[in-house]
Amino acid sequence: MSMFNRTDNKETSVSAPDKPRDVTPAPVAAAPKPIQPTPAPAPDLSPARSAGPSVISKALKITGQLESTEDIRIDGEIEGDIHGVAVTVGNGAKVKGSVYGQTVELAGTIEGKIEAKKVILTSTAHMSGDVIHQDIRIESGAYIDGHCRPGSNKVDIKPVAKPN
Amino acid sequence: MPLSHLSKAITVNGDLESDGELRIYGNVRGQVCADRLVVGAGAFLEGDVIARDVHIEGRMEGRIFALNVTLDSGAEVNGRIFHNTITVAKGARIDARMPWRPPSYFETLETLPEARQ
Repeated sequence: MSMFNRTDNKETSVSAPDKPRDVTPAPVAAAPKPIQPTPAPAPDLSPARSAGPSVISKALKITGQLESTEDIRIDGEIEGDIHGVAVTVGNGAKVKGSVYGQTVELAGTIEGKIEAKKVILTSTAHMSGDVIHQDIRIESGAYIDGHCRPGSNKVDIKPVAKPN
Repeated sequence: MPLSHLSKAITVNGDLESDGELRIYGNVRGQVCADRLVVGAGAFLEGDVIARDVHIEGRMEGRIFALNVTLDSGAEVNGRIFHNTITVAKGARIDARMPWRPPSYFETLETLPEARQ
Protein backbone atom coordinates (compact mmCIF):
# COMPACT_ATOMS: atom_id res chain seq x y z
CA MET A 1 0.00 0.00 0.00
CA SER A 2 2.93 2.30 0.48
CA MET A 3 3.23 2.83 -3.25
CA PHE A 4 -0.22 4.37 -3.23
CA ASN A 5 0.83 6.91 -0.71
CA ARG A 6 2.98 8.56 -3.31
CA THR A 7 0.00 9.37 -5.48
CA ASP A 8 -2.47 12.06 -4.66
CA ASN A 9 -5.58 11.67 -2.58
CA LYS A 10 -7.96 11.20 -5.49
CA GLU A 11 -5.93 8.46 -7.08
CA THR A 12 -5.74 6.56 -3.82
CA SER A 13 -9.42 6.57 -3.18
CA VAL A 14 -10.26 5.46 -6.72
CA SER A 15 -7.72 2.67 -6.98
CA ALA A 16 -8.30 1.34 -3.46
CA PRO A 17 -12.02 1.44 -2.79
CA ASP A 18 -11.85 -1.15 0.02
CA LYS A 19 -9.80 1.21 2.11
CA PRO A 20 -11.60 2.67 5.10
CA ARG A 21 -13.20 5.91 4.15
CA ASP A 22 -11.24 8.13 6.41
CA VAL A 23 -9.90 10.22 3.57
CA THR A 24 -11.60 13.53 3.06
CA PRO A 25 -14.82 12.89 1.19
CA ALA A 26 -14.80 16.15 -0.70
CA PRO A 27 -12.32 15.25 -3.46
CA VAL A 28 -13.93 11.85 -3.91
CA ALA A 29 -17.29 13.38 -4.53
CA ALA A 30 -15.88 16.14 -6.70
CA ALA A 31 -13.65 14.01 -8.87
CA PRO A 32 -16.18 12.12 -10.99
CA LYS A 33 -18.67 14.97 -11.20
CA PRO A 34 -17.05 18.35 -11.63
CA ILE A 35 -19.62 20.98 -10.82
CA GLN A 36 -20.48 22.86 -13.97
CA PRO A 37 -22.09 26.23 -13.82
CA THR A 38 -25.52 25.88 -15.31
CA PRO A 39 -25.82 28.11 -18.34
CA ALA A 40 -28.13 31.05 -17.91
CA PRO A 41 -31.58 30.14 -19.22
CA ALA A 42 -32.45 31.80 -22.48
CA PRO A 43 -34.75 34.77 -21.91
CA ASP A 44 -38.27 33.90 -22.84
CA LEU A 45 -39.66 35.01 -26.16
CA SER A 46 -43.27 34.96 -25.08
CA PRO A 47 -45.56 37.53 -26.64
CA ALA A 48 -46.17 38.99 -23.20
CA ARG A 49 -42.77 40.61 -23.52
CA SER A 50 -43.89 42.43 -26.66
CA ALA A 51 -45.53 45.10 -24.52
CA GLY A 52 -43.84 47.33 -22.00
CA PRO A 53 -41.15 49.91 -22.45
CA SER A 54 -38.72 49.86 -25.33
CA VAL A 55 -35.09 49.61 -24.37
CA ILE A 56 -32.30 50.84 -26.59
CA SER A 57 -29.25 49.19 -25.05
CA LYS A 58 -25.82 50.75 -25.12
CA ALA A 59 -24.79 48.41 -27.93
CA LEU A 60 -27.45 49.80 -30.25
CA LYS A 61 -27.15 52.78 -32.54
CA ILE A 62 -30.17 54.06 -34.41
CA THR A 63 -30.00 56.52 -37.28
CA GLY A 64 -33.52 57.67 -37.88
CA GLN A 65 -36.77 58.52 -36.24
CA LEU A 66 -38.39 56.75 -33.28
CA GLU A 67 -42.05 57.02 -32.44
CA SER A 68 -43.72 55.22 -29.59
CA THR A 69 -47.01 55.37 -27.76
CA GLU A 70 -45.27 53.92 -24.72
CA ASP A 71 -42.15 54.53 -22.69
CA ILE A 72 -38.66 54.49 -24.12
CA ARG A 73 -35.39 54.01 -22.31
CA ILE A 74 -32.24 54.91 -24.20
CA ASP A 75 -28.77 53.79 -23.20
CA GLY A 76 -27.32 53.74 -26.70
CA GLU A 77 -26.85 56.27 -29.43
CA ILE A 78 -29.56 57.87 -31.53
CA GLU A 79 -29.31 60.27 -34.41
CA GLY A 80 -32.82 61.45 -35.05
CA ASP A 81 -35.98 62.57 -33.38
CA ILE A 82 -37.69 60.65 -30.60
CA HIS A 83 -41.39 60.76 -29.77
CA GLY A 84 -42.48 58.91 -26.69
CA VAL A 85 -44.50 59.13 -23.48
CA ALA A 86 -41.87 58.83 -20.78
CA VAL A 87 -38.46 59.05 -22.37
CA THR A 88 -35.40 58.26 -20.26
CA VAL A 89 -31.97 59.01 -21.65
CA GLY A 90 -29.59 57.10 -19.43
CA ASN A 91 -26.09 57.94 -18.33
CA GLY A 92 -23.71 57.43 -21.24
CA ALA A 93 -26.45 57.63 -23.84
CA LYS A 94 -26.19 60.08 -26.70
CA VAL A 95 -29.00 61.65 -28.67
CA LYS A 96 -28.60 63.98 -31.62
CA GLY A 97 -32.03 65.30 -32.35
CA SER A 98 -35.21 66.43 -30.69
CA VAL A 99 -36.86 64.52 -27.88
CA TYR A 100 -40.61 64.87 -27.41
CA GLY A 101 -42.65 63.33 -24.64
CA GLN A 102 -44.82 63.77 -21.58
CA THR A 103 -41.84 63.24 -19.33
CA VAL A 104 -38.21 63.42 -20.38
CA GLU A 105 -35.51 62.42 -17.94
CA LEU A 106 -31.95 63.08 -19.00
CA ALA A 107 -28.83 61.57 -17.45
CA GLY A 108 -26.85 61.38 -20.67
CA THR A 109 -26.23 63.72 -23.56
CA ILE A 110 -28.69 65.41 -25.89
CA GLU A 111 -27.68 67.66 -28.74
CA GLY A 112 -30.91 69.11 -29.96
CA LYS A 113 -34.13 69.98 -28.23
CA ILE A 114 -36.32 68.69 -25.44
CA GLU A 115 -40.01 69.40 -25.59
CA ALA A 116 -41.99 67.85 -22.77
CA LYS A 117 -44.48 68.56 -20.02
CA LYS A 118 -42.08 67.47 -17.34
CA VAL A 119 -38.32 67.63 -17.75
CA ILE A 120 -35.77 66.25 -15.32
CA LEU A 121 -32.09 66.97 -15.82
CA THR A 122 -30.04 64.82 -13.46
CA SER A 123 -26.55 65.61 -12.24
CA THR A 124 -24.89 63.80 -15.14
CA ALA A 125 -27.05 65.43 -17.80
CA HIS A 126 -25.41 67.24 -20.69
CA MET A 127 -27.92 69.26 -22.65
CA SER A 128 -26.94 71.29 -25.70
CA GLY A 129 -30.04 72.99 -26.99
CA ASP A 130 -33.33 74.41 -25.89
CA VAL A 131 -35.64 72.93 -23.30
CA ILE A 132 -39.33 73.64 -23.68
CA HIS A 133 -41.19 72.51 -20.61
CA GLN A 134 -44.09 73.10 -18.25
CA ASP A 135 -42.36 71.67 -15.22
CA ILE A 136 -38.63 71.34 -14.90
CA ARG A 137 -36.21 69.98 -12.34
CA ILE A 138 -32.49 70.54 -12.68
CA GLU A 139 -30.10 68.80 -10.35
CA SER A 140 -26.78 70.25 -9.33
CA GLY A 141 -24.10 69.26 -11.81
CA ALA A 142 -26.27 69.26 -14.88
CA TYR A 143 -24.85 71.04 -17.91
CA ILE A 144 -27.14 73.16 -20.05
CA ASP A 145 -26.21 75.16 -23.08
CA GLY A 146 -29.45 76.56 -24.37
CA HIS A 147 -32.65 78.26 -23.44
CA CYS A 148 -35.10 76.90 -20.94
CA ARG A 149 -38.52 78.26 -21.62
CA PRO A 150 -42.00 77.27 -20.59
CA GLY A 151 -44.11 75.89 -23.36
CA SER A 152 -47.73 76.71 -23.98
CA ASN A 153 -50.27 74.91 -21.88
CA LYS A 154 -52.02 73.39 -24.81
CA VAL A 155 -50.68 69.93 -25.18
CA ASP A 156 -49.66 69.36 -28.75
CA ILE A 157 -46.73 67.23 -27.77
CA LYS A 158 -48.64 64.01 -27.49
CA PRO A 159 -46.88 61.16 -29.20
CA VAL A 160 -48.18 60.31 -32.61
CA ALA A 161 -50.68 57.50 -32.73
CA LYS A 162 -49.39 54.20 -33.92
CA PRO A 163 -50.58 53.38 -37.43
CA ASN A 164 -52.25 50.03 -37.50
CA MET B 1 -24.73 40.66 -24.10
CA PRO B 2 -26.71 43.89 -24.11
CA LEU B 3 -30.29 43.36 -25.05
CA SER B 4 -32.34 45.94 -26.89
CA HIS B 5 -36.08 45.69 -26.95
CA LEU B 6 -38.42 47.55 -29.28
CA SER B 7 -41.95 47.10 -28.03
CA LYS B 8 -45.06 46.79 -30.17
CA ALA B 9 -45.87 50.46 -29.55
CA ILE B 10 -42.78 51.68 -31.36
CA THR B 11 -42.17 52.69 -34.95
CA VAL B 12 -38.65 53.24 -36.20
CA ASN B 13 -37.76 54.80 -39.53
CA GLY B 14 -34.04 54.41 -39.93
CA ASP B 15 -31.07 52.15 -39.57
CA LEU B 16 -30.29 50.09 -36.49
CA GLU B 17 -26.84 48.88 -35.62
CA SER B 18 -26.09 46.74 -32.59
CA ASP B 19 -23.26 44.55 -31.32
CA GLY B 20 -25.69 42.71 -29.12
CA GLU B 21 -29.12 41.24 -29.29
CA LEU B 22 -32.05 43.12 -30.74
CA ARG B 23 -35.70 42.18 -30.37
CA ILE B 24 -38.27 43.88 -32.50
CA TYR B 25 -41.98 43.70 -31.70
CA GLY B 26 -42.99 46.95 -33.38
CA ASN B 27 -42.60 48.40 -36.84
CA VAL B 28 -39.16 49.02 -38.27
CA ARG B 29 -38.28 50.36 -41.68
CA GLY B 30 -34.57 50.38 -42.36
CA GLN B 31 -31.44 48.31 -42.36
CA VAL B 32 -30.68 46.23 -39.28
CA CYS B 33 -27.24 44.99 -38.22
CA ALA B 34 -27.02 42.95 -35.06
CA ASP B 35 -25.36 39.96 -33.55
CA ARG B 36 -28.70 38.32 -32.93
CA LEU B 37 -32.05 39.55 -34.19
CA VAL B 38 -35.50 38.46 -33.09
CA VAL B 39 -38.51 39.69 -35.04
CA GLY B 40 -41.33 38.83 -32.68
CA ALA B 41 -44.91 37.89 -33.41
CA GLY B 42 -46.87 40.92 -34.54
CA ALA B 43 -43.77 42.80 -35.62
CA PHE B 44 -43.12 44.11 -39.10
CA LEU B 45 -39.65 44.72 -40.46
CA GLU B 46 -39.02 46.23 -43.87
CA GLY B 47 -35.38 46.32 -44.84
CA ASP B 48 -32.21 44.29 -45.06
CA VAL B 49 -30.82 42.35 -42.15
CA ILE B 50 -27.22 41.43 -41.46
CA ALA B 51 -26.76 39.29 -38.39
CA ARG B 52 -25.25 36.10 -37.07
CA ASP B 53 -28.53 34.63 -35.85
CA VAL B 54 -31.95 35.62 -37.05
CA HIS B 55 -35.18 34.37 -35.52
CA ILE B 56 -38.41 35.43 -37.17
CA GLU B 57 -41.91 35.01 -35.77
CA GLY B 58 -43.47 38.04 -37.42
CA ARG B 59 -43.55 39.67 -40.82
CA MET B 60 -40.52 40.73 -42.73
CA GLU B 61 -39.78 42.11 -46.16
CA GLY B 62 -36.24 42.37 -47.43
CA ARG B 63 -33.03 40.45 -47.59
CA ILE B 64 -31.55 38.44 -44.76
CA PHE B 65 -27.83 37.76 -44.51
CA ALA B 66 -27.30 35.46 -41.58
CA LEU B 67 -25.37 32.35 -40.64
CA ASN B 68 -28.29 30.82 -38.79
CA VAL B 69 -31.87 31.57 -39.69
CA THR B 70 -34.95 30.31 -37.88
CA LEU B 71 -38.39 30.97 -39.32
CA ASP B 72 -41.09 30.21 -36.80
CA SER B 73 -44.60 29.07 -37.60
CA GLY B 74 -45.98 32.60 -37.59
CA ALA B 75 -43.29 33.99 -39.86
CA GLU B 76 -44.09 35.70 -43.12
CA VAL B 77 -41.06 36.50 -45.20
CA ASN B 78 -40.72 38.18 -48.57
CA GLY B 79 -37.33 38.61 -50.16
CA ARG B 80 -34.12 36.64 -50.09
CA ILE B 81 -32.56 34.63 -47.31
CA PHE B 82 -28.80 34.18 -47.57
CA HIS B 83 -27.98 31.58 -44.98
CA ASN B 84 -25.66 28.83 -43.86
CA THR B 85 -28.17 26.94 -41.78
CA ILE B 86 -31.90 27.45 -41.88
CA THR B 87 -34.84 26.08 -39.96
CA VAL B 88 -38.38 26.58 -41.18
CA ALA B 89 -41.28 25.65 -38.96
CA LYS B 90 -44.53 24.26 -40.29
CA GLY B 91 -46.90 27.09 -41.02
CA ALA B 92 -44.34 29.68 -41.97
CA ARG B 93 -45.21 31.60 -45.11
CA ILE B 94 -42.08 32.07 -47.14
CA ASP B 95 -42.01 33.82 -50.48
CA ALA B 96 -38.29 34.05 -50.92
CA ARG B 97 -35.22 32.63 -52.53
CA MET B 98 -32.99 30.92 -50.01
CA PRO B 99 -29.44 30.80 -51.32
CA TRP B 100 -27.01 28.79 -49.23
CA ARG B 101 -23.60 30.33 -48.58
CA PRO B 102 -20.47 28.97 -46.88
CA PRO B 103 -19.53 30.47 -43.51
CA SER B 104 -16.69 32.38 -45.17
CA TYR B 105 -19.21 34.37 -47.16
CA PHE B 106 -20.63 35.84 -43.98
CA GLU B 107 -17.19 36.61 -42.59
CA THR B 108 -16.42 38.82 -45.54
CA LEU B 109 -19.61 40.83 -45.21
CA GLU B 110 -18.37 44.27 -44.29
CA THR B 111 -21.08 45.22 -41.89
CA LEU B 112 -21.34 41.87 -40.19
CA PRO B 113 -20.77 42.33 -36.46
CA GLU B 114 -17.65 40.18 -36.34
CA ALA B 115 -16.13 41.92 -39.35
CA ARG B 116 -16.54 45.34 -37.85
CA GLN B 117 -14.15 44.72 -34.98
